[in-house]
Amino acid sequence: MSTVAAVVVTYNRQAKVGETLDRILAQTRALDWIIVVDNASTDGTDQVLASYCADRRVIVYRLQRNMGGAGGFSAGMSRGYELGADFVWLMDDDCYPSPDALEELETGLAKAEEAMAMPLSYACSQVKFVDGEICEMNNPSTTWDWGRLMALGQECVLVTNCSFVSVLFPRRVLTRFGLPLKEYFIWFDDQEYTLRVTRAAPGVQCLRSVVVHDMGVNRGVNFADVSAENMFKFRYGVRNEASYRLHHQGVGAFVKFAVRLAQQLHAGHVAWPLRIQLLRKLIEGVTFNPKPEYPRSVL
Amino acid sequence: MDEQSTEHRPLALFELLDESGIGLIDSSAGLLDERERRLVVGAANFHALAAPGQLLRIIVLRGPWGTFPALTDRTVHHIEWAGDREAVGSMVLRSVVQPLNAVARPTSILGLVVDVGGGTKFGTLYRSLPGWQGQVRRTARSLAPIQFDALRQLRTDVVERLLAGRGVKRRASTRLNRSTRPGGTSGPPAVLFGLHWLELGGAERWALDTIQMAADAGATPIVITDRESNNPWITKPELASALVVPLTHPMDPATEAAFLNGLLETFDIRGIHVHHNAWLYQRLPWLRAVRPDIPVIDSLHIREWRTGGFVDTAVRLSSAIDTHHVVSPALRDYMIGRQGLPAEKIKLATLANLTTDNSITMDRQLGIDGPFTVVFVGRFAQQKRPYLFLRLAARLREHAPGKFRFVMHGDGELADEVHLLKARFGLDALQIRGPEIPVAHTLAEADVVVICSDNEGLTLTSFEATAAGVPVVSTDVGSQVSLTADGLLCPRHPYRFLDAATTKVIAMMTSPDQRKSWLDEQVVKATAFAKLPLARPWVRDLYQGWLR
Repeated sequence: MSTVAAVVVTYNRQAKVGETLDRILAQTRALDWIIVVDNASTDGTDQVLASYCADRRVIVYRLQRNMGGAGGFSAGMSRGYELGADFVWLMDDDCYPSPDALEELETGLAKAEEAMAMPLSYACSQVKFVDGEICEMNNPSTTWDWGRLMALGQECVLVTNCSFVSVLFPRRVLTRFGLPLKEYFIWFDDQEYTLRVTRAAPGVQCLRSVVVHDMGVNRGVNFADVSAENMFKFRYGVRNEASYRLHHQGVGAFVKFAVRLAQQLHAGHVAWPLRIQLLRKLIEGVTFNPKPEYPRSVL
Repeated sequence: MDEQSTEHRPLALFELLDESGIGLIDSSAGLLDERERRLVVGAANFHALAAPGQLLRIIVLRGPWGTFPALTDRTVHHIEWAGDREAVGSMVLRSVVQPLNAVARPTSILGLVVDVGGGTKFGTLYRSLPGWQGQVRRTARSLAPIQFDALRQLRTDVVERLLAGRGVKRRASTRLNRSTRPGGTSGPPAVLFGLHWLELGGAERWALDTIQMAADAGATPIVITDRESNNPWITKPELASALVVPLTHPMDPATEAAFLNGLLETFDIRGIHVHHNAWLYQRLPWLRAVRPDIPVIDSLHIREWRTGGFVDTAVRLSSAIDTHHVVSPALRDYMIGRQGLPAEKIKLATLANLTTDNSITMDRQLGIDGPFTVVFVGRFAQQKRPYLFLRLAARLREHAPGKFRFVMHGDGELADEVHLLKARFGLDALQIRGPEIPVAHTLAEADVVVICSDNEGLTLTSFEATAAGVPVVSTDVGSQVSLTADGLLCPRHPYRFLDAATTKVIAMMTSPDQRKSWLDEQVVKATAFAKLPLARPWVRDLYQGWLR
């Protein structure tokens, strides 16, 4: 039987991470390891995590400093790979998987691969908000032939990119494509990674695998929402996406992104000082081009 | 088939009519030693298989020291030889391999001249580089081995970057599922093995183990080597019941086919196990086309930086191989993740208990009162970079004169260089030990083992050191991360390696707690690694299935 390591990255999420871990531990498909990467939390999250360490499957990996979601997922995936996991299952610390979420991902991926007669890059869940609506931020993008598996009676959709909120990667994907770019720190790391790995084959969204993302407000990424309070995330987002569009998709994609950014900032009446800061980040993306690291084969 | 049963009589596919100097009838009356005699028998078997029923006259030459045998290549048909060769034997024999056309039994005598080479020099590709380029490289290499190595590592970096993500192009498969035979096979069951050479090495040690397992399972091991070598291990007891054929190149293509046809008609070959043998790899598509029913496996140990080595050869020829046996997680991941081979075709089975019993000694006392003993164990070969160990020893001695003791345990093609550098660095206290002393004795004295290799699969030395309770400082290459504490892994580049290794060895000498902490981590890794499937039982079961 295949081995699975869940990877949860947490930062100052004392109130929610416990429920995430409870839901993971209660999966109908038992996990071999639950790797919790603590991004140097300061709010007592470490104490919550300590209470789970009695379970031998739980490995708490506390980083010396906050390395963002990108650095945390990279470290956790690397650890899972070193432990010999056949799959890594990634999610945020405010993600609540339904009891059969993993089982549905695993069986959905296997059936999809059988139907497609080819290995696929990953399987991701359907992500809902706490009110049962679809979660705006975690919608995957579909391929041109997204309904191919549905035509065969499977409740799966072929996708290109998705978020790191309940996504299952086979080990071979990490071997071939490496780890997420930890230099991204936060935002667009999941998009870049899933776009990178789907160069070989699409991913699949298993609609029967459901998770709830308890993210406070159900909003997708829109530059019209930029404010002084949320500016730090958008700064990373603009730099990372600009870098990706330019270095991996070409000048045209970069220009298109710049136009979209300008349009959304204009539509949201974002303050000019913030717009200038984001313009600087857009320019920073021209020289910012990190390369992936690869995990080490230990077991 | 004349299966001579005495311990000294290897399996022969010929009837000996007369001989002089070789000592096959009376070894005490021969001019050849046992190794040379086995080489001659190997050559005679090859020609007996290639020319069924043929009368053969074989003249045996011995070359000057430093020359390699010529046993099966085109030169054996020349009855004129170089002035530095001495004739040391002559034999007349008749091949007992049955010709397919019994009516056309040849009656004339075929004259052959084989050369057993001179002495047990170690085989090396490096020394055989031809022309002025080879001479320049050899000169640069001997004058400044570490600087030369630094350039080599830079080249490795470039090639590795260029080849990153490259998929190896695979050969088309053989679609035949039934063999076409001129006659039924009624020979003894056999397993065909392909080896690099019969010299000291981890892959060769494993190959001999598998040969013994095949013999134990009731098969005749047929062992083919293809690399230029004096084959010092040809006298090993594991080969006692084997048909050993050390090939030398270039061979006549017609003779190659005749040889393989002879094997297929003489033996009931139940399986093929390729260890490291380029010639046999390249002939697998032909063998699969002739006998698609014969299962084929290979054992893979190490991926070469620049060429991919046997690993990439195996990927290229994967359509002619049923199962790839890999000895390390790194190779498993490379084959499945990087090259896209089906997971069910890759078998990870480790050599964790090949030279140890997996027990670990943890109650060793450190040499705190005496000097701190730093040890190198391995072949004196380019891959192992013994010159880096010597430079490291020189650095450590400069740092703390009299506090360290050094032992180098091994032998090989760079033995001369090791002695030269020892003198050049003034390392009078460094002790060099040959293979006549058991490695266990050296490890029992060691406080730390240093592995300087340019490339590795997973060193048997790491297993042995862990079993002896000795921490290992190693370059971070191949799968060494599986058995080495993270803090004791060093960069591959020579200068960075020397800096890191010096720091780590000094840290262990000055802090027994630090040394114990690293050793504990090494033991945890070794314990986890030991839970992976082992190669011996897997291969044993596989062979038994083949021979059922």
